[in-house]
Amino acid sequence: MAPSNPLSYWERVGDSFYRKVPVYDAIFDEDVELENYIVAGAPYGGAIALYRDESKLYRFQGAQTTKSSIDIYSCSGKHINRINWEYGSIRGLGWSDKEELLVVSEDGTVRRYFGLFGDFTSFSLGNGSEEYGVRACRFWTSGFVALLSNNQLVAVSNYEEPRPRLLAPCPEGEVSSWSLIPPAYTLSRSVEVLLAVDKTIYLVDPTEAEDKVLQNGPFKHTSVSPTGRFVALYTAEGKVWVVSSDFQSKFSEYDPKARTPPREVEWCGDDAVILAWEDEIHLVGPNGVATRYYYDGHVHVIAEFDGVRLITNDTCEFLHKVSDVTEEIFRLGSSSPASVLLDSVDLLEKQSPKADENIQRIRSRLPEAVDTCVKAAGYEFDIYWQKRLLKAASFGKSVLELYNSDEFVEMTEKLRVLKAIRDYQIGLPASYEQYMRLTPEKLIERLVNRHEYFLAIRIAEYLQIPADRIYVHWASQKVKVSTVDDEAVCKLIVRRLDGKPGISFELIAQTAFDEGRAHLATQLLNHEPRAGKQVPLLMNMEEDEIALDKAIESGDTDLVNYVLLHLRSKLPLASFFRMINTRPMASALVETSARGEDSELLKDLYYQDDRPIDGSNVLLSEALQETELERQTEKLHLASRLLADSKDATVVLQQKMLNESSQLLKVQEALDQEIAEREEYVGLSLNETVYRLIRSGWSKRAQKVQSEFKLPEKTYWWLRLRALVAKRDWGELEEIGKNKKSPIGWEPFYNEILGAGNTKLASVFVPKCTNLPVEDRIEMWVKCGMTVKAGEEAFRARDVNTLELLRTKASGTAVTEIDRMINQLRPRK
Amino acid sequence: MAPNSASDADYFRDKARKDLLALLEGVRGKKNVVISQDLAGPVGLFVKFSLLQEYGVDRVFLLENANVDSTQRNVVFLVHAEKARHVRTVAEQIKRLQRNGNVEHEFFIFWVPRRTLVSNSILEEAGIIGDVNISEFPLYFMPLEQDVLSLELDSSFGDLYLNKDPGCIFQSAKALMDIQQRHGYFPRIIGKGDNARRLADLLLRMRRELDAEESSGLNGLPARGLLPSASTESLIIIDREVDFGTVLLTQLTYEGLIDETVGIKHNQADVDTTIVGPGAAQESSKAPQQQTSKQGQKRKIQLDDSDQLFSQLRDANFAIVGDILNKVARRLESDYESRHTAKTTTQLREFVNKLPTYQLEHQSLRVHTNLAEEIMRVTRSDIFRKVLEIQQNNAAGADATYQHDSIEELIARNAPLKTVLRLLCLESCMSGGLRARDLENFKKQVVQAYGYQHLLTFDALEKMELLQPRSSATTMLLPTTGAAQAGLKTNYNYLRKNLRLVIEEVSEKEPEDVSYVYSGFAPLSIRLVQCVLQKPYILALTKGGSAPASTNTNAASTTSPGWLGFEDVVKSARGATFSIVQKGDDKAVRARQTISGNNAIKTVYVYFLGGITFTEIAALRFIAAQEALRRKIVICTTGLINGDRMMDAAIAKGGFAKEE
Repeated sequence: MAPSNPLSYWERVGDSFYRKVPVYDAIFDEDVELENYIVAGAPYGGAIALYRDESKLYRFQGAQTTKSSIDIYSCSGKHINRINWEYGSIRGLGWSDKEELLVVSEDGTVRRYFGLFGDFTSFSLGNGSEEYGVRACRFWTSGFVALLSNNQLVAVSNYEEPRPRLLAPCPEGEVSSWSLIPPAYTLSRSVEVLLAVDKTIYLVDPTEAEDKVLQNGPFKHTSVSPTGRFVALYTAEGKVWVVSSDFQSKFSEYDPKARTPPREVEWCGDDAVILAWEDEIHLVGPNGVATRYYYDGHVHVIAEFDGVRLITNDTCEFLHKVSDVTEEIFRLGSSSPASVLLDSVDLLEKQSPKADENIQRIRSRLPEAVDTCVKAAGYEFDIYWQKRLLKAASFGKSVLELYNSDEFVEMTEKLRVLKAIRDYQIGLPASYEQYMRLTPEKLIERLVNRHEYFLAIRIAEYLQIPADRIYVHWASQKVKVSTVDDEAVCKLIVRRLDGKPGISFELIAQTAFDEGRAHLATQLLNHEPRAGKQVPLLMNMEEDEIALDKAIESGDTDLVNYVLLHLRSKLPLASFFRMINTRPMASALVETSARGEDSELLKDLYYQDDRPIDGSNVLLSEALQETELERQTEKLHLASRLLADSKDATVVLQQKMLNESSQLLKVQEALDQEIAEREEYVGLSLNETVYRLIRSGWSKRAQKVQSEFKLPEKTYWWLRLRALVAKRDWGELEEIGKNKKSPIGWEPFYNEILGAGNTKLASVFVPKCTNLPVEDRIEMWVKCGMTVKAGEEAFRARDVNTLELLRTKASGTAVTEIDRMINQLRPRK
Repeated sequence: MAPNSASDADYFRDKARKDLLALLEGVRGKKNVVISQDLAGPVGLFVKFSLLQEYGVDRVFLLENANVDSTQRNVVFLVHAEKARHVRTVAEQIKRLQRNGNVEHEFFIFWVPRRTLVSNSILEEAGIIGDVNISEFPLYFMPLEQDVLSLELDSSFGDLYLNKDPGCIFQSAKALMDIQQRHGYFPRIIGKGDNARRLADLLLRMRRELDAEESSGLNGLPARGLLPSASTESLIIIDREVDFGTVLLTQLTYEGLIDETVGIKHNQADVDTTIVGPGAAQESSKAPQQQTSKQGQKRKIQLDDSDQLFSQLRDANFAIVGDILNKVARRLESDYESRHTAKTTTQLREFVNKLPTYQLEHQSLRVHTNLAEEIMRVTRSDIFRKVLEIQQNNAAGADATYQHDSIEELIARNAPLKTVLRLLCLESCMSGGLRARDLENFKKQVVQAYGYQHLLTFDALEKMELLQPRSSATTMLLPTTGAAQAGLKTNYNYLRKNLRLVIEEVSEKEPEDVSYVYSGFAPLSIRLVQCVLQKPYILALTKGGSAPASTNTNAASTTSPGWLGFEDVVKSARGATFSIVQKGDDKAVRARQTISGNNAIKTVYVYFLGGITFTEIAALRFIAAQEALRRKIVICTTGLINGDRMMDAAIAKGGFAKEE
């Protein structure tokens, strides 16, 4: 192939060059009258959607074509799909960066077509769009804004879970043009809209509409540059202004000297503005310098972030700024090292010694030259020049001792992929930079959407990207189109996908189910390794029992709860219980969630399960939640009644205690009425009741309660002791001390009374603690401050050492007393 | 795989912080944050309130208080999505704000740790799913210390053993998957207990599912971790159920006792200001809840390794805490005095430079001295001593019926219900249930003393298998029968002998065995871990009679993996016993082994499912110190637990009294 001149199509605009690369020719049939169509192109060289512009008159072409439809073509003009459209007039046609086609109709219905073949989801814009109607829409890569005819703006920023949101209300008036700044490029991180109303422009975000106070409107066109930094305005006087997006500074002005305003104003990269008339394109660079292109037919402009695609019936061209590296190499008279390196390859092939001379000359900057050549290869569309540049890089690299070839290798990989997808059969003319932004994964997705499975798999393998999605898509497609019986399809799919990692059979099964092939879906699901994944589909398929089992198998409580929630609302109670009965985890979860929220369900459950104690406990906890005494007793009675017929020992005990509890409440109620000023006793425990009665001096009543409830003697004594100490009723305590025996011994009396500070009374109990060792008793005396008594104790035990110890602690007369005792014990001395 | 140099604790702390801040950043402008109680504390572990403020958080509300107002347009909910109750509360509050709002609110929900299907359907039912922006905050492990990771699931104990809700097992598995994805698969999973087995099964299943998903790009992770880890030795899972007994004992380390007396939550203790004095210039930034709970009476004390003194004290037996405090006090004093000896200006400057550290130390010394005194007051009390005596007798395996009088006395003296129940449960756990007649008797006394609502409490305790009548089957579990009836119940009597749980002569000062944490009783859970990690030591301990030197350098026999050598003994503890090897691609494993070398110190993850006590942490640290040359131990758990919290799960709320 004869090398084309790399400089062909270059056009100087101011300081930089632009070039228009023809990518494809013979795009559309002659009978497609492009001027009558609205054209929307997906970003990164994606598909093109054509829709007949309703405002234009056109030749009648037979009944068939009067049906309106949206046609999807590849950039090379290959017809991909036709979507019949009978849902009213289309007010917005755009693409997301996932190559989903969005169609907004006048009444605010949005359809999102994914996968290029007519699958869609839809949602409504709401917010008054039904009443006022949608006027127009502007799209960015992951969302869009719709302008209603009452000048309200509705933004959707996420298609997965669309949440149409009203932006700040904007002023009345005729909107002459508008545009948006994508959220990624605004300070507020939400989408902002430029609305040209009357003479000025408003900047509208979710919270406010700010008047930018301009005088030169109405602006027929407003257009925001891809990075949101600049805005191009077409003024009332027919001039193009480029201003900063905060409207603080004006960068350039250009007068196209045209009588009619251009049809479209778009940005070509971030530096130049395209003005498009029917058959004429003006490229306006910085400082208002411009160049013009003329066409024979109608030309459509599709903006990309690094240039524009120009579509006519005959050609698809890519107009973009010549990159710095390319310019450095190819510009006439360039003497940059990279350019010299490229020359050297020619010389080398001619076996001229000058090749080496050249290399030596640029030796010091050789690495840089190699880098430049590699980069430039990426920007080149022509395969000849790609090869040349890579060859130059490879030559330069071979001279260098140390050079990291990673970039070189990667570039060759990328160029191979690009070559494959740019082929007219595929028709994805992505530029190098677009491919980088798109990422290989998304690229494969696009290929899959076009059903180019083979190429997709080859690329995935080449780039070592997981290919499972491709297989899944293929299998789903197979399920959709195949007409053979379920067994055969399943077998075919399983055989093909055998051993491929990460295959989601659940997705394929979902497709099968959606296609109405439930049996096939079940069969496919059996191959899904992830239990959790199967659950939602199984529920859709009404395979409730299997769904529940799979959910339990996954161990994910959320899934189980989810299935249970679903079953509970769907099944009659009896079958629901039957379902969970044999599954302990499920019934545990049902019990847990019912507790405190749905006690009726619990009661039913326990009744069915024949668990009387559990059932009565539910009633008991309900009783606890009641505030009225009658209601409490009532619930307690019910709880007790549930246990009535049983002979089981624990049940009998339980019932007995329940009865006791209502009995206690009754007693307490009576106490409250008879002796308390306000409610004092109700709600206390039995021990507390007795304690309080004694403390308040109602010993008789306390005794009565004790006997009525068979309170153990020991407990009663403790309560009496503590209550009397708290009451400081020393007399009564002393009286008790006269008893011979105490079921709890006398030590507690000593301790409690001493703790309350009455050493005198405490000491009374010391001699009664006969069961304690002498040392303890001595200690007790000492604690009461009665050293002499302690001494006597020691004396009785004939413990001289302790006595001497005591002597050191003693004071006053006690000293002599103890001395006397010591002497008595040591008579011989 | 590149070696991960940062410790797991740092990694998870950074990740959690980054994730949360990124989410907050996604909400433009000022916002009010509503946080559920069970998250407020944990969030404080990795992010300071001042930092939240920098990210536009204006005020923080507690979900439970239901008092969020309309002062900000943006309202962010940070709530656990696993609990339907929480989700419903969120839905209610959003609806309330929508109704009475003259402000058009923008709602954001950050579900922790994931967006659940149930939450979706609840919001859908409430009709608000379209009005809220929902994101996930995948918060699983939170670092308490460098060696302790916790899920901080307060309710996990009750969920797991009372409600039999395995939700926290699933969350544990997810959390452990995080670790596996970071380091590679645990080459071996060893465990004890039925729930532990369930967790291990889940881990295996998740690994299979991840393998299936790995290459599909669905999870967005690069294909890594397909191999068993080279830096990890094993994962040891201990189900709490295996050893309830340990938790029921009163913890006797300093940190454990603080937990018993004051309570430690998320590394913080609420201490009465009368004890520790008012906080000097409280940092306003400590925890978000400080904004909302204004109870001037309490002061939050941070208890972690940032406090040098505390890190010395925390794992020591309380008996020697006084000594340490004295020593530190004397050292500090002499350090202070050094200013007099400072002659040259450089010396003086040195001293002045150190002043802030001295002051900090001084402050912490004062706090801990006061705290220790307060605890001392408790430990000296009659009731505490009585309780301890009963516990020790039970632990030592003395005939429990002799303790019954003491327990009855405690009931009559109105000792705290939890204390009484702990003793009863302890007896039941240690000796395989109470005699039916005794149990009946105690039941009666407890409901009479503390209220009839505790019929529910007993029911719950029985469901948790904490307090049961001794069945005919379990009477066979008396010491003579050994390892019969394996797996149904932990047979402490058998294990006490065969794992030497009770060590008579224990030095609290220079401990030689983990039993120091309970002054003579070694937690069974820890002995089990030792059966895996310190085989020779345990063998010597049980066979040799005399305890060998703790620094056992005989590493050769430690290589026998899993339960090997102890299979029979371990059978007497409750639940499944397992040791699973996770195999990977052999060639790759070998290749990696040659790269990394075999002698590197490997990490052992010890996972306590259902909660861990501070004493067990102390004991594990004790082991870790002995093993420092061979391995690193990272402790993971669903949350911290003690006997009181265990009882909390069971004790019936409410009573018959009217609310006043």
